[in-house]
Amino acid sequence: MAAADPSSQPSLFGDVDSFGYGGGAIYDEMVTGHGSLRPHWQSFMRALGPTEPELMGERWEEARRLLRQNGVTYNIYGDPQGMERPWPLDLVPLLIPSHEWKAIEAGLIQRATLLNMILGDLYGPQTLVRSGRVPAALLHADPGFLRSLHGTRPTGGIYLHLYAVDLARASDGRWWVLGDRTQSPSGAGYALENRAVISRVLPEPFRDCRVQRLSPFFVAVRETLARIAPRRDQPRIVLLTPGPYNETYFEHAYLARHLGITLVEGGDLTVRDRAVYLKTLSGLEPVDVILRRLDDNYCDPLELRADSSLGVAGLVQAVRAGTVTVANALGSGIMESASFKPFLPMLCREMLGEELKLPGVKIWWCGSDAERAYVTEHLASLVIKPAFVALGGEPIFGAELAYDDKAALVQRIRHRPFDFVAQERVALSTAPCWQDDKMQPRPLVLRVYLAATADGYIAMPGGLTRMSTAPGRLVVSMQRGGGSKDTWILESRATEGVVAVQPSPGPETRTSDVTPVRGDLPSRVADSLFWLGRYAERADSQVRVLRALHSRLVDGTRPGVQREIVPLVRLARWTGILPWQLDDPTDNPSALRQALQAALFDSSLANSLGGNIQRLRRASAGVRDRLSLDLWRTITQLERLSEAPGPKKRSDSAMLMRLDELVTVLAALVGLEQVSMTRGPGWRFLDLGRRLEGASQLVSILRGTGITQAGSRDEATLEVLLELSDSTMAYRERYFATAQRAAVLDLLLTDDSNPRALSSLLAALAEHLTALPRPPLPPGQEAESPANLALGLVESARQSLRRPALLQDGPALAATLEPLAVSLPEISNLLVNAYFSHAFARPA
Amino acid sequence: MLSPAPPDTVAAIADPALPVAVALPATATPLSVDAPALSAPGNRTTRYQVRHLTRYRYGDRVSVSHHILHLVPRPHPRQVCDDPQIRIVPAPAARADWCDYFGNPTSYCEIREPHLCLEIESTLQVTVQPPTIDLAATPAWELVRAQTQVPVDDDDLAAAAMVFDSLLVRATPDLCDYARPSFTTDRPIGAAVMDLTRRIFRDFRFDATATSVSTPLAEVLNHRRGVCQDFAHLGIGCLRALGLPARYVSGYLRTLPPQGRPRLIGADASHAWFAAWCGPAAGWIDFDPTNDRTADANYISIAWGRDYDDVSPVRGVILGGAWHELTVAVDVEPLDELPPPDETADEIRDEVPAADVAPVP
Repeated sequence: MAAADPSSQPSLFGDVDSFGYGGGAIYDEMVTGHGSLRPHWQSFMRALGPTEPELMGERWEEARRLLRQNGVTYNIYGDPQGMERPWPLDLVPLLIPSHEWKAIEAGLIQRATLLNMILGDLYGPQTLVRSGRVPAALLHADPGFLRSLHGTRPTGGIYLHLYAVDLARASDGRWWVLGDRTQSPSGAGYALENRAVISRVLPEPFRDCRVQRLSPFFVAVRETLARIAPRRDQPRIVLLTPGPYNETYFEHAYLARHLGITLVEGGDLTVRDRAVYLKTLSGLEPVDVILRRLDDNYCDPLELRADSSLGVAGLVQAVRAGTVTVANALGSGIMESASFKPFLPMLCREMLGEELKLPGVKIWWCGSDAERAYVTEHLASLVIKPAFVALGGEPIFGAELAYDDKAALVQRIRHRPFDFVAQERVALSTAPCWQDDKMQPRPLVLRVYLAATADGYIAMPGGLTRMSTAPGRLVVSMQRGGGSKDTWILESRATEGVVAVQPSPGPETRTSDVTPVRGDLPSRVADSLFWLGRYAERADSQVRVLRALHSRLVDGTRPGVQREIVPLVRLARWTGILPWQLDDPTDNPSALRQALQAALFDSSLANSLGGNIQRLRRASAGVRDRLSLDLWRTITQLERLSEAPGPKKRSDSAMLMRLDELVTVLAALVGLEQVSMTRGPGWRFLDLGRRLEGASQLVSILRGTGITQAGSRDEATLEVLLELSDSTMAYRERYFATAQRAAVLDLLLTDDSNPRALSSLLAALAEHLTALPRPPLPPGQEAESPANLALGLVESARQSLRRPALLQDGPALAATLEPLAVSLPEISNLLVNAYFSHAFARPA
Repeated sequence: MLSPAPPDTVAAIADPALPVAVALPATATPLSVDAPALSAPGNRTTRYQVRHLTRYRYGDRVSVSHHILHLVPRPHPRQVCDDPQIRIVPAPAARADWCDYFGNPTSYCEIREPHLCLEIESTLQVTVQPPTIDLAATPAWELVRAQTQVPVDDDDLAAAAMVFDSLLVRATPDLCDYARPSFTTDRPIGAAVMDLTRRIFRDFRFDATATSVSTPLAEVLNHRRGVCQDFAHLGIGCLRALGLPARYVSGYLRTLPPQGRPRLIGADASHAWFAAWCGPAAGWIDFDPTNDRTADANYISIAWGRDYDDVSPVRGVILGGAWHELTVAVDVEPLDELPPPDETADEIRDEVPAADVAPVP
């Protein structure tokens, strides 16, 4: 699950390209048009000292080392090597003087207040649309308007708890708003990590420049999250991530730790009694606040996008019931739509009685006739974009269109005018970047962050500066030193003049200084590990049956082979490995050969090996961060081996080699599980899955080969049983004789020294079940706890292995095995319901 | 030589897979092979008893599920519903009722006990009055379109909100081209939409096998086949492509058994049609392109929205389940039987004044 979904979360870097860089004289952040250093850069350059390549190179290496050490990564969608790229950080920070920041800050706070107020109207009385101040299309044509959220007013009327704005500086030196991030802005965590690294690598400039600190901002965010909880007493706050495949997963984990809240995926949460709970091994824990990193539409497959596997079914209902607060409020993504931007100056006057302080880049919404006419006439100088962010789609540069394409675009705009906006091309300012051993000017976009507090919005004194590594068009490459920058807001000079210069204290806090959150193992993790164990064991048993059959098919002349094929085919059909309709294979070896190949590779068959290995792989993907690299590599190898080979590689000998290899790799998996995993609750569930499946498979093998039938003493069947249970060697060591019924059954059922014997498997199950946590139950009902019920089933199974004549008599064996075929799946169900899906569970 | 299949063949492989949350496809409409056709006159107030059963059978235990239901008739000037009952087995651990954005009664329920089968049954008594419709008296379609762009009251606004694309209906130029011939200059909107309804009825074949809930509208338009839900979406798309408001209506249709046969219980299906905004005086008028008519007292409305996705009768997300099988049974029983009909269905068409069904130039 949690597959990367490119449509969720606009890329942190990719969109820089859509601003249509070009044209106009360029403003440089460090030097004036006359080539002299701007005043606020002087103390920085002084403290930095000579920018010699060697010295700077050392600093850069140190920065990279810190980033590596902190595990700062960034994932790229659609790139097989994209997982966990090192985070691109430039050595030179962007400096913004205090007086300039004060103006930006005031504009940002006004904008946050305005957008929050607009959201309150759209999801409430809708007077803006009713009064005709904004066209109905702005609301109703926008897929980002979530009707199911209408009428749900979040705690304190706050829709935007954490909000980000992308800024660019035009050639006139003014900052302009390029866009708003209103659903789940990314990057604040990276900004914090950038600060942690750069303040260490450039300690002198950092001290001398008197840089404003970022930490108070995050303290405020944490306080806000606690304050908006519907249930005030010790609220549980979680950060909901799409999972490890998401572009900014590192940041999710980093922020969760820094804020001291629990990192969860959709599968960790469940809705009960219209409230949200965290599923843990010790039961359901109520959740009060969700800081989400999922886009609006992905948050609830029940009432929003049905195809989302990332969200929580019933979340909208919990919001409606007022039992949980989601930050930012679901539906706030609509304020990212470009369609609203041209109306903001008017709305600011009407709603706040003020002029909009921060200008926005000029946007024409084609839903109005006059603007559409302007856009179609001036296409060449404009960038055409979707009006609604939820529509998706790439920006189109009018200047780059061929004549025919231009006509087609005009036609599309005429047909659905309200779906389009046009934006003027903007000139981005440049800042110095350390690249190729020298300072080079590179275009930049600055993302700044705001948080709602009890006293209104506050801005983070800093931000995430994103750079292009090329001087021309903004194509952002993260392979080289560019990418992002720390952003320093300097303390005001006025203060400096009056008070003695106080150097800022040492570098800013890093995550490791914050106490990590103690939490129970999430149910989702235990669930995946349990099934990983089960599928691995199931695949192992299947491979052995298939190999046994195939080897006899290849070597049909060996004495006894024909008699051994009979119980094997019987078993394979009985367990669904081979189709029931299969002809008698002794008559038709080619049909059997074909059926064997299908059983191996055709993953569309219900119980094929390929299908089970796919399921194994899926179970492991959910817990990839908890598996060692070797373990993961082994699983990848298994997956490769279960893929169908080309027709030329299907000779008998090639197939046999493939089956041998599968047996070996599956055995390597067991070994790695034992040596590379700590014996925590996670491993316990993995091993529980293995033992439970092992017992099930053994019972199936015994029943399926017909050994339970009265008086069956068939030597061929006994040989097959030894082979399938990997016990031939053990048997020969002990008996040096042909297979005897009582001796074989003793080895498989009751010999405690054989780890594959049923008695050993049941003993291991009993031990695991005893050690499982038991969620509190009402007094007097402790015996009813699912773990105790499961334990009871295991104990009675162990009891039944002491049945007299078990090893000699068919009916006695059947009387032991048949109840097991029922009780083993029941144990699995008890565990699934109690620890993973929490069926029946009463919320605490 | 090989023994026959033991009765518990599946026991060995019946263990559940790693359960994942799966969105259930909402109820398919309709499941009958034939188009729901009617032959009863719909011009008298009629009281109905409706029973609607939805049953999911799962290949494996579902441990937890969440559902959203649109099964209770919405408030409607021509329709009264007394004491609607919804029975759910297994019994939900939590349930909530509210009205959705479009004013449709909506229910939410959580089922927390492991189950292999889920039954949701609604039982309703509804009284429906026939509408009075004068299609020729509606304003010119161009005027309605112009008014929609400058809404003056809440009714106008509600209409204006229905002009835009929704999840399942995207107004394409192809739809616009298809609709055009019905919308001649200054034609009364009611007459123009009736003409469009009739063309859909004639040009498209009812084929329950041709489409599924997820078939895109463009494909329906290309293959000229579909079910009532597709035809309703088609009509909506055509109107929206012209800038006219249209909404989706889900409900039931009274059907009559073939001559001389008893009524079969549960053989009906849920039905869908569309409504067009015909200006403030006439308001919304319901058109059924599957049966080439405007809706009358044979039509029971449950919910309306932008398209099927807004109002699907039953939707849900289940945990576990492996595969599932869906059965739907609908029974629409008239309680106050009327005297034998003396008008034929054809005559009902004459609600449309002859002048308005003249061939389109």
